[in-house]
Amino acid sequence: MDFESNYEISRTVDYLRAGNFTRVALQFPDELLKDSPRVAKVLRSELGAGVRLFVMADAAYGSCCVDEIGASHVDAECVVHYGHACMSPTSTLPAMFVFGKASIDIKDCADQMGHCLSSTNKPILVLYGLEYSHALMHLKTVVAESTVLSHSNSGPMLNYADVIGSVINPSQDCTTEKVQIRSLNDSITNAGFTSGGDEKKILKFGNGRRMENGTCFELGGLTWRIPSDHKIEDYLLFWIGPENSAFTNVVLTFNNCEIIRYDADERRLLEDFSGQRRILKRRYYLVEKAKDANIVGILVGTLGCAGYLSITQQMKELIKGAGKKSYTLVMGRPNSAKLANFPECDVFVYVSCAQTALLDSKEFLAPIITPFEAALAFGRGRQWTGEYVLNFHDLMVSCGPEAVSGIKEARFSFIKGGYMEDIQPEENGEHEERSLALAETTEKALNLQSQHPNTIMFKGAARSGSEFFAARSYQGLNRQYENLAPQSYAIGRSGRASGYADEKMQANESPGAAV
Amino acid sequence: MVKFTAEELRRIMDLKHNIRNMSVIAHVDHGKSTLTDSLVAAAGIIAQEVAGDVRMTDTRQDEAERGITIKSTGISLFYEMTEESLKNYKGERSGNEYLINLIDSPGHVDFSSEVTAALRITDGALVVVDCVEGVCVQTETVLRQALGERIRPVLTVNKMDRCFLELQVEGEEAYQTFQRVIENANVIMATYEDTLLGDVQVYPEKGTVAFSAGLHGWAFTLTNFAKMYAAKFGVDESKMMERLWGENYFDPATKKWTNKNTGSPTCKRGFVQFCYEPIKQIISTCMNDQKDKLWAMLQKLGVTMKSEEKELIGKALMKRVMQTWLPASDALLEMMIFHLPSPAKAQKYRVENLYEGPLDDIYANAIRNCDPEGPLMLYVSKMIPASDKGRFFAFGRVFSGKVATGMKVRIMGPNYVPGQKKDLYVKSVQRTVIWMGKKQESVEDVPCGNTVAMVGLDQFITKNATLTNEKEVDAHPIRAMKFSVSPVVRVAVQCKVASDLPKLVEGLKRLAKSDPMVVCTIEESGEHIVAGAGELHLEICLKDLQEDFMGGAEIVVSDPVVSFRETVLEKSCRTVMSKSPNKHNRLYMEARPMEEGLAEAIDEGRIGPRDDPKARSKILSEEFGWDKDLAKKIWCFGPETTGPNMVVDMCKGVQYLNEIKDSVVAGFQWASKEGAVAEENMRGICFEVCDVVLHADAIHRGGGQVIPTARRVIYAAQLTAKPRLLEPVYLVEIQAPEQALGGIYGVLNQKRGHVFEELQRPGTPLYNIKAYLPVIESFGFSSTLRAATSGQAFPQSVFDHWDIMSSDPLEPGSQAGQLVSDIRKRKGLKEQMTPLSEYEDKL
Repeated sequence: MDFESNYEISRTVDYLRAGNFTRVALQFPDELLKDSPRVAKVLRSELGAGVRLFVMADAAYGSCCVDEIGASHVDAECVVHYGHACMSPTSTLPAMFVFGKASIDIKDCADQMGHCLSSTNKPILVLYGLEYSHALMHLKTVVAESTVLSHSNSGPMLNYADVIGSVINPSQDCTTEKVQIRSLNDSITNAGFTSGGDEKKILKFGNGRRMENGTCFELGGLTWRIPSDHKIEDYLLFWIGPENSAFTNVVLTFNNCEIIRYDADERRLLEDFSGQRRILKRRYYLVEKAKDANIVGILVGTLGCAGYLSITQQMKELIKGAGKKSYTLVMGRPNSAKLANFPECDVFVYVSCAQTALLDSKEFLAPIITPFEAALAFGRGRQWTGEYVLNFHDLMVSCGPEAVSGIKEARFSFIKGGYMEDIQPEENGEHEERSLALAETTEKALNLQSQHPNTIMFKGAARSGSEFFAARSYQGLNRQYENLAPQSYAIGRSGRASGYADEKMQANESPGAAV
Repeated sequence: MVKFTAEELRRIMDLKHNIRNMSVIAHVDHGKSTLTDSLVAAAGIIAQEVAGDVRMTDTRQDEAERGITIKSTGISLFYEMTEESLKNYKGERSGNEYLINLIDSPGHVDFSSEVTAALRITDGALVVVDCVEGVCVQTETVLRQALGERIRPVLTVNKMDRCFLELQVEGEEAYQTFQRVIENANVIMATYEDTLLGDVQVYPEKGTVAFSAGLHGWAFTLTNFAKMYAAKFGVDESKMMERLWGENYFDPATKKWTNKNTGSPTCKRGFVQFCYEPIKQIISTCMNDQKDKLWAMLQKLGVTMKSEEKELIGKALMKRVMQTWLPASDALLEMMIFHLPSPAKAQKYRVENLYEGPLDDIYANAIRNCDPEGPLMLYVSKMIPASDKGRFFAFGRVFSGKVATGMKVRIMGPNYVPGQKKDLYVKSVQRTVIWMGKKQESVEDVPCGNTVAMVGLDQFITKNATLTNEKEVDAHPIRAMKFSVSPVVRVAVQCKVASDLPKLVEGLKRLAKSDPMVVCTIEESGEHIVAGAGELHLEICLKDLQEDFMGGAEIVVSDPVVSFRETVLEKSCRTVMSKSPNKHNRLYMEARPMEEGLAEAIDEGRIGPRDDPKARSKILSEEFGWDKDLAKKIWCFGPETTGPNMVVDMCKGVQYLNEIKDSVVAGFQWASKEGAVAEENMRGICFEVCDVVLHADAIHRGGGQVIPTARRVIYAAQLTAKPRLLEPVYLVEIQAPEQALGGIYGVLNQKRGHVFEELQRPGTPLYNIKAYLPVIESFGFSSTLRAATSGQAFPQSVFDHWDIMSSDPLEPGSQAGQLVSDIRKRKGLKEQMTPLSEYEDKL
């Protein structure tokens, strides 16, 4: 595929000219970085000297999101994003997306799809990676021709998802986050969604919005609509593209649907997604584990996605409401070493775009969960019924003000296999008896010390960071002044930390022993 | 017709000297439930005629179908004793009315947790032993448990009818058998010397042993016969009793008592002459339908039969006659009332076992004195499913004070720590209930010394709890029960329809409540796990889960899963080193197996994180040959800070070492929970920190750098020290006749088991076989065994120890290697183990 069309140079130029942008940031993912000089050069020659172009790479968070912070460092007026995108709305800058054009054998794909059509009686919904969107029109016509040939009657229905658009404009989508939430809420109530108060109902439809003429879904830059008498579970989802995070997003969100993936590179159909389903179960375990946590760290994993501030705030309130302590941390992309610097946190909530939200590794000291999972874990009386939301925008809609019902039952912890008591944010008992309350608090203060530090440190019994630090065995500098006379000085080590000079020498002398 | 009302019961509940709380314990199939029937019948709850067939206390359908007791069932019975029968009673009493709170418990080893729960709330135990089979495994286990709880036992030698009808043994032979049974029981009891409890052994001549035939509803103690003959011989009753047991012979020809057999044909042992022979005679006349002879004999004994009963023949007649002559309830009740302690008496010495707090505070005193005016102390030992599905009665015993309907109580759960709010609730009791047969009666309140069921607390109690008054913030909880079995058999359950998940979650919650032992947890992979003591236990639990607690929603149950442990065989072949992510810090470590017995000592809590370092180093140096100084350098135990692995500091002169200790410990807790081989818990590994190189700036040696490094170096040390898997092993006891032995050995061999003891039961054709059997091979063992021995062998398995698997798990294709790859697959891990090079760094 030729360079100009692959990078959509002309469309980019049109867009930049139309917007009258003079400072433009070009954001490349690592794998496309090698093409960036050429793209910049071609664009410059097209646009002339009046437009300044900046190449951005190595985003602090996922490269699928628009790096608005990076762009604002150069005072860019807009961002052109290349490569795989999660299409999360931006909060300040307009952005244009160039998905690239991955090669696909349309004939083969259509054949395979036709094969699918003949083997199922479910209607088929075609979803695809955004890099294949360029081939969609062609595919549609090829499939239409072949189905007409093979089936005289219409047969099972085919439904294609559309791309939302390759331009995101913050001024339209959301000037301020609050406006956006309201508008989303409005759209729901306007759409005749009657049971607005019923939280569960909303959750259930958190993935789709009801319209007059059907249910409208939006996921990872795709949008589609199904008739109101159909449910998404009735569809066979046909995914064109590789097994990447966008696909995982689809599998998890529509975990009740039958899904078939067409791999364009290998030209074959794949149907076994037990790996992805396993992820779902694992996430379920993490939710259960989060319920037992006392201290929660909120990791801010995006500084670009619109609404990240309000979801962070919402998480804080949720955690506080559940009687737990929260700390907000901004640390770029989390890794085990960074997380282990906060051993007091029993669980982390990672606020990020939908496609980088799933972080699970054996290397992490504490599990990382998504805001949706946090809502399940910390919202009282909530139960997981199978639906899954990765995008926090859907979540902001779905969990409005928590209806605090009176605690009917103690919480059962499956991690510990018994009832666990959660601290209630407001304790009614203490108002009734002031004298007793005083006695109890002093007693508590006295008892704290008797609790063995081990249980606080390593069993997650700490209620706050300060309690955790108080339990540490190391409290300050060592004082080893047994003999007060000054010691004679010795020559220290030299060299690099990975192996000091004297150690290197040892290693050379006896290579066998040092291995 | 029920002979008593709830009001009557409630009245006696206040008379703390007239209450007996007792459990019936025995080996499986020794006739507990059947015998209990006789007692229930005497209280009028079921008809005398059907006693022994109804098995009143087996309330569940599956209990009736299988013919075994599964849940322990409590029942409150009321008896009015005659003045005459009580005249010899020396203890305190008020009136002649007695309340017996009786708990029938299961005999199968898989349900021993039910026995534990029953024992906690009773003061005495009726130990039932089959006169032919004798003292069996489970008899021994429950007896030990009872004595550990300071429960006073009395014994009944049951199934006497087998002697007369089935085996037709002669008097002297029967005596020898009984004597041996009693001796065997006494041997066990004698090991529990307890000054406060006094002599707990049982003696027929003191009236603490009864002889019963539960199926036919008759029983006697020597007291019965002594009373009969005392007048005749003109001697004291107690003197007569002594003569009826042991080496006392009577020759009717000379009418003389001697201390040994004179050799004359008419000279017989007292017991044989005066107890065994008359019964044998009556039974044989009944069975032979010699009615004329029978009526004459009965008249002599002072037994009158109703006219319609005289029409009966054969077995029915025999049953009726024996029931009238020697009613089981009279003998057993008398034994209980005379020899089992009242709550007032028992709580004096049990308080030490029960109360966790200081033994001189008001709560301890209230328990000690069984004070109804004192603060409420109540222990809930189990939850009983109520008739409306999903709700539970909290069943327990009031140790002091009173619990009343509508009362607000403080619920202290098993994790409650005095002074804190953890695991503590204040709720009100909706209703207090007592059990009368199959139905429950509400009562206003229940005073101390009684068992009680409460409504409205089930959503705050998982399995057990201590209840006290709302205001009693200083009260300590009552000590948690110690179970003799552990939940080693696990299955993963999931619902067939994904949207039933909330139902499953709810069902598991209820299941966890309904059984004292079952554990419902969730695996790292997100699977729900149900763990039970054995195959049968799990089967019952899963049936309950699906049918009762999930409203019939279908579940899918995986094959049983056994958890393994990871250990090491030798010391690491070299000191391994790992670098921190920033490469500025290095940890050097070695792993070595712990000394034999040390892991067990940690399990038992003899050595633990909270020991005084001096005491710990004494045990370690004296018993395990540790260096005294080294014993003081133990950094921690793990997993869960108490597990049987440890980290020991062997470094010399390392700067900032104290700073990273917490981080290393955190890494160790994490690593020891998920070992490098198959992410199973580690066991019996001692990690030695050999050397540490740290960056001079504190910021570069923080937790973030050290915790992941400590984990990696621990894994590297484990992998270089010949890692091995440990598998759980059952101790299996099998009782079978000689001809079944071949089949037993065959099955055991095929299942990797090995026999280490084979004993013939003296006086019987039965053999007792003890063997070790890997838990993983035990699934389907009982049925295979039954098939191989045509149903003659019945195994009882209890978890015994962890056994090392000799094959190398690192070698693919070996037995352990296969196991590891199965475990990893099940857990959703990479099938290939992470190689050592991922954990170990080079300089």
